[in-house]
Amino acid sequence: MTTVGQLVFSGMLIGGIYALMSIGLTLIFGVLRIVNFAHGEFLMIAMYGAWAMTRYLGLNPYYSIVAIVPAMFLFGVVVHRLIVMPALDKPHLVVVFATMGLSILMQNVALMVLSADLQDVPPILGGRSFTFGPFYAKPELLIGFAVAVACTLGLRFMLQATYLGKAIRATVQDGEAAQLMGVPVPRIFLITFAAGSALVGLSACVMMPLFSVFPTVGLNFVLIAFVIVVLGGMGSIEGALLGGICIGIVQSLSSYYIAPAFGQMFFFMLFLLVMIFRPAGLLGRKGEATLGIND
Amino acid sequence: MDAAPPRAKQRSGRWRLLPERGTVSLFELVLLAVCVALVAAPLPQYLQDVVIQTFLWAGLALAWNIAGGFAGLISFGHAAFFGIGAYTSSILAANYGLTPWIGLWIGGVLSTAFGAVLTLVCARLRGPFFILSTLAAAEVVRIAALNWATLTGGAEGFSILPIASIANMVFESKTTYAALMLGYFLLIYAITKTVEGSRYGYYLFAARDDEEAASAAGVNPLLARTGAMSLSAFLAGIGGSLFAQYFLFLDPTHVISPELSFQFALLPALGGLGTAIGPVLGSFVITPLSEMLRSYFGGAAAGLHLAIYGGVLVVVMLYIPSGIAGALQRLAEHRRKGTP
Amino acid sequence: MPDALRLATLAVAAVALFGTATTGHAQEPIRIGVLQPMTGPATKNGTENFTAMQIARDMINERGGISGRKVDFLLADIPTPTAAISETERLTTKDGVKITLGSGVSLLAVPVSQAAERHGVFHWETAGAADIITKRGFKYTFQVGPAAYRYGQAAVDLTLGELAKRLGKSPADLRIALLWENRAFGKSVGDSIRADAKEKNITLVYDEGYDQFLTDMTPIVQRLKDVKPDVLLAISFPNDAILFQRKAKELDFNVGALVGVSAGYSNPDLRDSIGDMVNGIFVSDFAARVNPKALTPETLKIADEFFKRYDDRMKRPPAGHASSAFSATWALFTEVFPKAKTFEPAELREIALKLDLPEGSLANGSGIKFTNNDWPTDPKDAGQNLRASIGVWQWQKTGNNQIFPAKLATTEPVMVPLPNWSQR
Repeated sequence: MTTVGQLVFSGMLIGGIYALMSIGLTLIFGVLRIVNFAHGEFLMIAMYGAWAMTRYLGLNPYYSIVAIVPAMFLFGVVVHRLIVMPALDKPHLVVVFATMGLSILMQNVALMVLSADLQDVPPILGGRSFTFGPFYAKPELLIGFAVAVACTLGLRFMLQATYLGKAIRATVQDGEAAQLMGVPVPRIFLITFAAGSALVGLSACVMMPLFSVFPTVGLNFVLIAFVIVVLGGMGSIEGALLGGICIGIVQSLSSYYIAPAFGQMFFFMLFLLVMIFRPAGLLGRKGEATLGIND
Repeated sequence: MDAAPPRAKQRSGRWRLLPERGTVSLFELVLLAVCVALVAAPLPQYLQDVVIQTFLWAGLALAWNIAGGFAGLISFGHAAFFGIGAYTSSILAANYGLTPWIGLWIGGVLSTAFGAVLTLVCARLRGPFFILSTLAAAEVVRIAALNWATLTGGAEGFSILPIASIANMVFESKTTYAALMLGYFLLIYAITKTVEGSRYGYYLFAARDDEEAASAAGVNPLLARTGAMSLSAFLAGIGGSLFAQYFLFLDPTHVISPELSFQFALLPALGGLGTAIGPVLGSFVITPLSEMLRSYFGGAAAGLHLAIYGGVLVVVMLYIPSGIAGALQRLAEHRRKGTP
Repeated sequence: MPDALRLATLAVAAVALFGTATTGHAQEPIRIGVLQPMTGPATKNGTENFTAMQIARDMINERGGISGRKVDFLLADIPTPTAAISETERLTTKDGVKITLGSGVSLLAVPVSQAAERHGVFHWETAGAADIITKRGFKYTFQVGPAAYRYGQAAVDLTLGELAKRLGKSPADLRIALLWENRAFGKSVGDSIRADAKEKNITLVYDEGYDQFLTDMTPIVQRLKDVKPDVLLAISFPNDAILFQRKAKELDFNVGALVGVSAGYSNPDLRDSIGDMVNGIFVSDFAARVNPKALTPETLKIADEFFKRYDDRMKRPPAGHASSAFSATWALFTEVFPKAKTFEPAELREIALKLDLPEGSLANGSGIKFTNNDWPTDPKDAGQNLRASIGVWQWQKTGNNQIFPAKLATTEPVMVPLPNWSQR
């Protein structure tokens, strides 16, 4: 019993962190209807940023949030202006491949400038775990999970209670109608993309104490992010959290009870099952998968 | 993105200059002549290698295009079909001595079955939901192949014995390989042109562009789609077998990878989705470009050649979004209208 | 007078002829194709290997080259197996190289050597270890580093010998767990350990492979906790080794001894990433630094010079595979090339097969003696170096010290059994 409990507990915590990493992606998808294939590389440079703050300024990654999140917001603005905006009125695949090109470019510039070495930050909280009865959890994981939940709640609040939030929701529901109602849709697109990027920055700061960074680190996470976004329902913030937790737990249990060699296979299979029986994802709007997304 | 609707021949009896649906143009004939010349010319081996890969990828891109461009089934999982074909013919040859000339058809059939099942399973999915499902399915195949080491050799890879003979489909001369790949490419091109100009092609375009209207007009979209994906998978599987016979080394991580799947989609997107010539142009530009970049810059700063490639990709996608074929068409229209 | 003039003319002519002959011939460099993954997931191995090889080249060129001829490298990037084949072929057919060095990791060594053999090119493999490399009956591929099964063997020998003793259990009672990363090297070593264990009638209480992209080690560590092994044999690459260690500490997984096999656990950066957690871990690998007494004084000087230069360039000591790259390349330059006249693959092959260098001849403690289709367990085995030194060293507070086998050891193993996390 302890075993199952530990697996589910740890799976949930890491799943929450995967979700945090994916929230930006789902927001971008919900509003702009595009998939950013450079998502993993956004994570990579934000992680390098957080690492650099620790290495050169002695700031631990949690404090670096103050610097990294705005920096990633600006980065998102730049990428949106240069690459996303010109691609929006073109066929859907254009933005897919443009962001893919960006991904390759970023990985290799990082390689040229920073080398392939793995970089880590020293343990911040001593490396000891908390125990909850028979279960263990590292503080970094707990913090990450807490941030993920807080972020989800905060975003939900923002979406419900602020004008910006309303404007975003309107754009998600029907961009044309929103525009007719006076919502500055292009500005919403910009803000959303940049915010998505900023959210990646937040998750990077929380992930840096847990993972090493190297130029191709994005590859380890990007597929997980895509699966979580679609699994949770594209555009659904709570869906991303739920999807992430599901993935974390499924991976944990399947790797234990079946074999770790199969790695991600089980959550891909879970994904396909959900696609067959609930194609819009766990919390997506029914019919979204079938009717298409204003393509 | 759509191929232009067929124009009535303005000057009867004359050849079309640029590629169009339903007829063969001068452009295509010239390109054919160039390809034959490339095979026959006494090029140095490393250039022949580039030619061989270009032809192979032209065929693979065309195969993808039947599903992705014609039927609108954007797949990021074609590496699975490719890999199934490659491993099937190679395993049959190694374990049962079956000549790859027969093995490749079996590989093709297995890929087709997989493709058909996938399409039916994902019948209700559109857009990114479909795309990611194909990606997920391909990953499942990759991980299965990686772990079924007794069958596929697993992570250590699968080597094919380099004993040259026609029965083995292993050749000493790169010229023979070039001819083989050219044959593959031309066959698929012929199939593509035929489908493009045929009634079945119209069904596919209709189902792609407006499913409900097509349905109302009597087209069965699911059947049309499944057919397209099956054909696409079949041809990709055969390409996989040819790949195996040329490189003589397979490993799941690189042969059934997401990167390879992206390549399948990238070449047609760059060249012009939904046209027959598009994927060809895409391969003719990208394959030599990436090989040359790596050869010339690979020894310089690590990562430089890929950084250049990524940058080029971004620029091209943003400034020539309808692909090279689209750009050519616009050029032709300008000429026709007389604007400079 | 005319005789003197004639003599003088002859003398001048002779000097001129001799001069041009030597300068003409001495200028022509020896061109070697080098294939390394400089991009892609194996970049770290590729860049470190290449740096070590460059140091060997610089050192030999500074000493005048080989019979006056300098060594020239032509580097090609091989991120994938298909690139490996294309680039090897390009170097051989376009640039006409007949000698190649490589290949960074096991997976790439297989296609590189395959392409080299197809073109009759002499390939000197320094890093690839997958057993299959030498089992294809190739004539021109020589693997200077140890084959994968030997890494596993060393780990098992240490475990059943020293570790069993220090843990106070008989080998038959020892609970041994095997964890391997599912890439060519990991799988190869894992297979060999499993076979070795079977032969010695040892049951493995845990035997799992895992995907290289795994981001959460919880299920693996939890299972190990449940199984309670005495010794864990782990073949991991750097990223997963770090993740595993952290998770082991988090979940309080304690084991009597951890024996890592090359790759991740032997990476000098590991201490930067996980700090003192690293102390006590054993590593079965080619030695980075061996007991100086095991080397001849000549070789010791060369080894020291290599270490200094590598440290200057990379700001850290070389990993085992980099040392191996240097040692193998240096051996090529100083033991094979000086005996060559034409530098044709067939000639180099002859020379290589005749090499009979005792252990301690190379900077990393290896010797050289290649199989030639005469290895009793596998008659098709050709080009395997039977004297490649493999041993086990341990991460200790004082540095990385060799502890096995006895003649290479510089010190005794410590921290057996490994103290629990709460005590570290």
